[in-house]
Amino acid sequence: MQHSNSYIFRYSAIMVIIVAAMLAATAELLKPKQLDNIRIEKMQFILSSAGIRVEKKDVIPTYNKFITKELGVDLSGNIVSIFQNGKQEQGTIRPFEISLKEELDKISKGAGDVVLPLYICNNDGKTIFIVPVYGKGLWGPLWGNMAFADDMNTVVGATFDHKAETPGLGSEIATTVFQAQFANKQIFDPSGEFVSVSVVKGGVKNSSTPEAHGVDAISGGTITSNAVSKMLHDCLINYVPYFKKDQ
Amino acid sequence: MTTESKKKEPLFSAKNKKLFSLPLFGNNPITVQVLGICSALAITVKLENAVVMAISVTAVIAVGNLIISLLRNTIPSRIRIIVQLVVIAALVIMVDQVLKAFVYDVSKQLSVFVGLIITNCIIMGRFEAFAMANKPWPSLLDGIGNGLGYGIILVIIAFFRELLGFGTIWGYKIIPESFYDFGYKDNGFMILPPMALITVGVIIWIQRSKNKDLIEKN
Amino acid sequence: MENFFNIFIKSIFIDNMVFAYFLGMCSYLAVSKTVKTSAGLGIAVVFVMIITVPVDYLINEYLLSPGALSWINPEWAGIDLSFLSFIMFIAVIASMVQLVEMIVEKFSPALYSSLGIFLPLIAVNCAILGGSLFMQEREYQNIGEATAFGLGSGIGWLIAIVAIAAIREKITYSNIPAPLRGLGITFIITGLMGIAFMSFLGITL
Repeated sequence: MQHSNSYIFRYSAIMVIIVAAMLAATAELLKPKQLDNIRIEKMQFILSSAGIRVEKKDVIPTYNKFITKELGVDLSGNIVSIFQNGKQEQGTIRPFEISLKEELDKISKGAGDVVLPLYICNNDGKTIFIVPVYGKGLWGPLWGNMAFADDMNTVVGATFDHKAETPGLGSEIATTVFQAQFANKQIFDPSGEFVSVSVVKGGVKNSSTPEAHGVDAISGGTITSNAVSKMLHDCLINYVPYFKKDQ
Repeated sequence: MTTESKKKEPLFSAKNKKLFSLPLFGNNPITVQVLGICSALAITVKLENAVVMAISVTAVIAVGNLIISLLRNTIPSRIRIIVQLVVIAALVIMVDQVLKAFVYDVSKQLSVFVGLIITNCIIMGRFEAFAMANKPWPSLLDGIGNGLGYGIILVIIAFFRELLGFGTIWGYKIIPESFYDFGYKDNGFMILPPMALITVGVIIWIQRSKNKDLIEKN
Repeated sequence: MENFFNIFIKSIFIDNMVFAYFLGMCSYLAVSKTVKTSAGLGIAVVFVMIITVPVDYLINEYLLSPGALSWINPEWAGIDLSFLSFIMFIAVIASMVQLVEMIVEKFSPALYSSLGIFLPLIAVNCAILGGSLFMQEREYQNIGEATAFGLGSGIGWLIAIVAIAAIREKITYSNIPAPLRGLGITFIITGLMGIAFMSFLGITL
């Protein structure tokens, strides 16, 4: 069938308008639900580093019950933002909403106004400090959470995830077997110097790294393992001033 | 049923039924027409992903077929392909949004492959070959049939890959623990991409040895 | 510079479009009967990809991703148009393919006569759209990385299709079980090639 040019123009214009309106409506309508999913996942991830594992549907009440306080700390260890009991008590931005990636970018650029999130969890009277970490793996971003006991030195638990590490090798960092190794490791040496926790190739026992500061690497996943070490060091070091102040 | 359908042929006439069932086994889009393999294989590691993908593709192809068929007399032939692409892309975006909102975990695993439904040749192929020339109802049936024909292969591949790769079906442990005690191991190889191709190869082999008409001559 | 090279090598060998992600399988299976035509299609894919991936990168970066519009008006920083990315990418690809076709036809009729028939096929080649979607998903830092990725993915696809075509030319003379002939054996060979390509996983970049 032959149609005139003006018909084609009118046809495509109407089509574009209808399609655009429909898509915008769908996107707007579903956006709150999608954002909720992302928040729930983040909450679940934070909780699991403190050893609290919950089903998706129970995440929000559990989070509100256990995470008693969200703090935003700056690079000199001062608290600049507090979110507690469902309301913002100090500062303007809720620590949960801070994008760690953007803050780390700011640090590498040397910008001043950095606010790092930190979650305080109260589990059966024990206070656990949860610190998010973010870094670059072999093929894409890595991220995770480290949970510390109230001495702000001993690791209680850790969770990691990744976007694109090699299946079966680097991707093993997302398994509980790997993550369980982090329990009871320490990030400060006995003299109080920050040393972080390293992932050691060939096993901690055969290396010069003290048992308290190293975990065994994944065989075949050397680059990802090194990336985890670097991520932990580079992220945790920003919290050292706060830890020192509060210890 | 209605007076309208009495005047024409019945809704589920033999011809219409055939439209629906033929793509399922006889003229399967993947194994016979060799269409739409692009996005099919990467997501067959787990049964759940494969089912979600199959439903998504079926929805896009059925609704798309219906829309194209309804519009078939108004579409200017010169921008035909663009109109088809816009319809597909719009439907896929909606599917993607719905998946992100309701089955977030699965949508994360499907990642870019939801977007790649757009270039799934089955859909463009059915629009061109069927919906442009047929009435809405047969087009809808044809769309569902082809979508399911595509889906069934996905599900078969995913069934074997998940069973042998993880020892689970739909996330539930199927292989009993006692097997593992005797030294049985999940075959991690099944999870890797190349095994999807080999599995499809084997499925084609089986289908063609049953149905000799499909054997290629060369 | 080192980074570009890493992305380039990785997208050819490790994240090979065909072997790791099965993208562009339709044309990969349909056109791989002879080396000559498959090389033609492969070059056309490289050609289109090296254009579309950077262009889609710019569109994603300056129009679609959350806050991308703030360069026009800071008040628009809250706008997130990323739901439009599929339709924009496919539109860019379709128009780029058309453009490339017209340019090639105008300036190199010889090239057009060998590549021409493949160009329309490319608009619906999943490898091309896949390239743009992966570019978006992997959040490449700058246009250089995106270009390196586009070029590498295209070349990876070219290598894959030429290799399978060469094998298929040879196996015409082999005695393959009848039901496996053609499609079946091509799938299995591709799987085996994929396994071979997996050995690149270990290389340190």
